[in-house]
Amino acid sequence: MKRREMLRASVLAGAAAALRPSLATAQSAAQASELTPAQSGVDGSKDLAAPGWKPLFLDEHQNETLIVLSDLIIPATDTPGAKEALVNRYIDLVLAAETHETQRAFLNSLGYVDGESMRRSKAAFRYLSREDQDILLHALAYPRFGSGWAGDTNAVADPGHSHFEALKGRIMTAYYSSQIGEKELGWDGAFAHGPYQGCEHPEGEHK
Amino acid sequence: MAQDPLQQTYDAVVVGSGATGGWAAKQLAEAGLKVALLEAGRAVSPKEFTEHMPAYKLKYRDHSPEVVRTRPVQKQCYACMEYNYEWFVNDLENPYSTPPGKPFTWQRLRVLGGRSLVWGRQSYRMSDNDFKAASRDGYGDDWPISYAELGPYYDIVERYVGISGALEGNEMLPDGQFLPPMKMSCGEVQLRERVKAKFGHTVTIGRAAVLTQNHNGRLACHYCGPCERGCMTFSYFSSPFTTVKDAIASGNCTLLTNAVVSHVDMDTEPNKARGVTYVDRLTRQVKEVRGKAVILCAQALESTRILLNSSTREYPNGLANSSGALGHYLMDHVVGAGASGRLADFKTLPNANEPARPNGIYIPRFRNTPSGNKHSRFIRGYGYQGGAGAGFNFSAEGYGASLKKAVKEGEYEISLGAFGESLARWDNFVEIDHDLKDAWGIPALHINMTHGDNEAALMEDAGAMGAEMLEAAGAKDIRVQAAVEVPGMAIHELGTARMGNDPKKSVLNAFNQAHDVKNLFVMDGASFVSSACQNPTLTMMAVTVRACTHLIDRFRKSEV
Repeated sequence: MKRREMLRASVLAGAAAALRPSLATAQSAAQASELTPAQSGVDGSKDLAAPGWKPLFLDEHQNETLIVLSDLIIPATDTPGAKEALVNRYIDLVLAAETHETQRAFLNSLGYVDGESMRRSKAAFRYLSREDQDILLHALAYPRFGSGWAGDTNAVADPGHSHFEALKGRIMTAYYSSQIGEKELGWDGAFAHGPYQGCEHPEGEHK
Repeated sequence: MAQDPLQQTYDAVVVGSGATGGWAAKQLAEAGLKVALLEAGRAVSPKEFTEHMPAYKLKYRDHSPEVVRTRPVQKQCYACMEYNYEWFVNDLENPYSTPPGKPFTWQRLRVLGGRSLVWGRQSYRMSDNDFKAASRDGYGDDWPISYAELGPYYDIVERYVGISGALEGNEMLPDGQFLPPMKMSCGEVQLRERVKAKFGHTVTIGRAAVLTQNHNGRLACHYCGPCERGCMTFSYFSSPFTTVKDAIASGNCTLLTNAVVSHVDMDTEPNKARGVTYVDRLTRQVKEVRGKAVILCAQALESTRILLNSSTREYPNGLANSSGALGHYLMDHVVGAGASGRLADFKTLPNANEPARPNGIYIPRFRNTPSGNKHSRFIRGYGYQGGAGAGFNFSAEGYGASLKKAVKEGEYEISLGAFGESLARWDNFVEIDHDLKDAWGIPALHINMTHGDNEAALMEDAGAMGAEMLEAAGAKDIRVQAAVEVPGMAIHELGTARMGNDPKKSVLNAFNQAHDVKNLFVMDGASFVSSACQNPTLTMMAVTVRACTHLIDRFRKSEV
């Protein structure tokens, strides 16, 4: 995820209006159908928070599992977490538009977590105690690899870890691209913060 | 009453409104010539710029299924995104073919300004180490022009465009008419100091077509970051708001948008072009524009496609192709190698509110230079683009509160990515695919290109050298890449209608004029004889201005 891509807001409208060339009016206006929604000024951020939201792709159990999982991976601390950022809703929206193969891979990862939960605790992940959820997630997040010696051909990636990373990647993308995520990173909502200052240290004292 | 734009004969018909077409229209119209400027796409307005729209306002936050469905090729470029994909061609309407196992990615925009709306803005001069490379190492052909001949036109272009950069006195990368350079980060300065000390190589700030001070009626950059989504202060150079605007303001340029040119029309008089035929993009009506001179600036492969599609009984293998060279010697800089790592000693935290510099650093070519040794495994060389700075650590391990904290603590990252010279080879070529047409019924291209052994050797060396330089800068956890990316990925397509002094071996003369058809010109990257390793747009613009200056002179002498 490119941080730079996520950090823009509007402050220079006056300057732009002063500079806007007569060319724009001299040419025929672009056909509305040939603008992207963003170029037409559509704000698509409100849809996910709409009352009566229903998942497009996930079933209720999958959706609830995703909420629990996202809340563990990016919890509310002194700042809001993934649950408040509605990452499950964004992930559902994107999944609904993806290929069957990608959808299957996601459900496979989510199902793996439930499978491990059933194997260990005889209950689906969302029904475990927070403590048991944490124990399971820890095992997936910090797997034991082979001996660690270079050239150890028995060092095989833990499939549980791969599934964890796939789910975590989705949740991270959804969280840090949300408005809550932008704030989490400290963005003040402005797009211009003056000229780039660069390094002003003497030689050899860079930090 | 205004004259019907199609009922008159223009002095010049310019096809394409991007970096080169904009310059051709400006130069000719300001000299008093009557110009018709044809653009295949629609007009563009600052109202559709999205550089200040946060990603969370995009419905899919740049994972739009519409982009995946309609731009599967275009989205291979970072600049094609949910914000602006309508500027890029719809791949379903604009097909091309490649041989099995030889992919080529072709990035195109059809909108006023073309790729100048989204380009990377890096602007470097070439030198006689490039123009006369064949004389120096025996490979390929020299350009029919020298640095001394092109230098004054570089000056004109740089002064108008506004290139920010630093003077370095480097033998491979001539200095130019620069606005003040952008600043370097601490990591970049450390790299510059240590690479100079250990290897003697130059690390400089990127030379970018982005204003560091108000210039020619445009405002200095406000460092918001994503130029490729537009710029409300017009601080980066794009043709619609500069050259094309000037051309129209002269009163001598008629802009025809939605004009998808299919071919050049020939006069009844032998070897003389009459104008071009185009298909109206929206109505599909076929129309003709007449001009005393026809100038193709449609982008290297599109200009050549027009010439190949202009075959007649007299010109069975494409127009201006008595040499047989038309379509051949396709080049695109080789990319895929470099190195990245962490400056672990740097404790600077990432800052979401830091000004976003739309530029990086540059390391000019240091292999096979006049003052250096000849490399045993390859000819020519490569340059690096890169950068260093604190970034949020989105690949932090684990989960929970510690993950949130680790993301914000970030990493101080440093990276270098190489652009290598792509040798001009006859075997890399385009031809017409007679079984494939675009949505306007115009035969599409079959693109046949692979990078060769020299390009692979360049990338191998670039990966290893990149790692050595980062190590010298104090980087840890260095990751090396030495791959060869799919051709087209640099988006620096060059050649296919090369210049040359010998009409038997080249398509154009030293003034971009077709050897075979004296009032036909190709003034874009198609004319390049070799690729060098520098980003080519600045040179394309300088070549265009030089060619237009010559053409204006010929008009004045009534030779056209």
